[in-house]
Amino acid sequence: MKTLEIKNLHVSVEDKEILKGVDLTVNENEVHALMGPNGNGKSTLLAAIMGNPKYTVTEGTITYDGKDVLAMPVNERSVAGLFLAMQYPQEIPGVTNSDFLRAAMNVRSEQPVSLFRFIKAMESTISELQMKEDLAHRFLNEGFSGGEKKRNEIVQMKMLKPSLSMLDEIDSGLDVDAIRIVGEAINALRQETGMAVIVVSHYERFLELIRPQFTHVLVDGRIITSGGPELAMKIDSEGYDWIYKEFDIRPAAEAEQEQRRVTSIGTCAVRESVKAKEGR
Amino acid sequence: MTPLRLNTDILLKEGYSEYEIDSDRNLEITFRGSGKCDVFVRITRADQVRIRSFIAEDADVSILFWNVSGTACDIDESHDVAADAKLTIAYGECNSAATHRNTYVSLRGRQAQALISSASLVSDRKNYSMNMVNFAPHTSGEIRNYAVVLKTGVLTIDAIGRIVKGARRAESHQTSRALSFEDGQKSTILPELLIDENDVQASHAMSIGRMDEDQLYYMMSRGLTPQQCTTLISTGYLMPITEVIDNGELRETLRTEMERKIAELCSM
Repeated sequence: MKTLEIKNLHVSVEDKEILKGVDLTVNENEVHALMGPNGNGKSTLLAAIMGNPKYTVTEGTITYDGKDVLAMPVNERSVAGLFLAMQYPQEIPGVTNSDFLRAAMNVRSEQPVSLFRFIKAMESTISELQMKEDLAHRFLNEGFSGGEKKRNEIVQMKMLKPSLSMLDEIDSGLDVDAIRIVGEAINALRQETGMAVIVVSHYERFLELIRPQFTHVLVDGRIITSGGPELAMKIDSEGYDWIYKEFDIRPAAEAEQEQRRVTSIGTCAVRESVKAKEGR
Repeated sequence: MTPLRLNTDILLKEGYSEYEIDSDRNLEITFRGSGKCDVFVRITRADQVRIRSFIAEDADVSILFWNVSGTACDIDESHDVAADAKLTIAYGECNSAATHRNTYVSLRGRQAQALISSASLVSDRKNYSMNMVNFAPHTSGEIRNYAVVLKTGVLTIDAIGRIVKGARRAESHQTSRALSFEDGQKSTILPELLIDENDVQASHAMSIGRMDEDQLYYMMSRGLTPQQCTTLISTGYLMPITEVIDNGELRETLRTEMERKIAELCSM
């Protein structure tokens, strides 16, 4: 059984510590929801697992299937079975979706995927995700609407069949029908392969569709509390205030604002100097 | 494919035709075009070549020069475009040898149009000097250069758009872009616009830069090695050059050739 194990993970961006000791274990077939207010480290955690070079792991370990993930370059993490459906997928002009995906599939198998098999798989995935038929020939995400980009992430996921998928707000920018299409596609792949999922989402509708068995609340770089689906439902109806009170914490944004207030003397100093100039 | 080994004066026929320059002597070749002509010229071996073209009134001529020479080439070109004629010249430069090229295009007649474009995978010295001169009113000239500069490559482009006095409503535009994948490559692009008439439109755009790290991360996150990413991106960057010739079969051949060369050079 493939297991992702994260222990005491500390991650910084430009010398600012975002994650301050995260522990998380995800087994095959499990769906975990990561919840928490914006700017508290959910996307950072997923990016660090995938290996985004902008994020520096300063302490802790990540292993997948017993292998040291932090020692692998990004492409090896992907081949090992990790997949991140990104919040802001990149546009790559000049590279078609089909050339890109075929290359990505070929690195996973010893024999190159036959053109016939590839076209068949691509066509059926495009129709499952209800995307335009010319997707294969269009440049990767170039000129795509927000919703199309998100659906294209799921097209890639379906084609590459990872063993653990991380979905970073994949539902934002999708309309009601598209959320259902994407949710069903994820569920179908889970049934087919036993893929594990870590999902970041603010929408109950999406979580209802993919039914996470575990919920974790990430506040100011730490998982403050974990529970079952009932925790996600409680947050959806009551928000995060009760968590702040119960655990006596503040979200990262508020803590930062507090710091800024202390330094706001600068504004006063400017006012003083203007007044002095005007002779008041 | 018609071989060109001696000084030749060619009256282009309508439709598609192809030639091969394969000579270690000094050559002088003249193309005369009228009507709609698509011309493919493969440069297999060349030393010093002088190429001239005369594009007749109302003609629409596209010439793609595909350089596969294993030794250095020195090419000097001048092209004359008559009234209401259109000339498209494209250079595919993916060979691992130096090229020194001087191109001079004269937009002689009213409403003459010309486009010079190049796609270069630079692993040696590539030195281009391009001159596009609008001599008549309502003429339109454009220069487009795309280059991927590799470790051992040195690229120099001197692109000049000139509009003479009296060439009213003329247009001169140019875009030059050089992309590299690591530090240490040398690219110099000098865009110039020399304009001696008021009622004109002119522009230039230029960029020299490294591949975007976010793009590289995105592609690698799907399992591609850095080398595969550079190969795919370079192919996408340079391939559009083959579209100037309306011949699907030729395009496929050139695409395969270019992909093979890119894969070979990018893995070095």
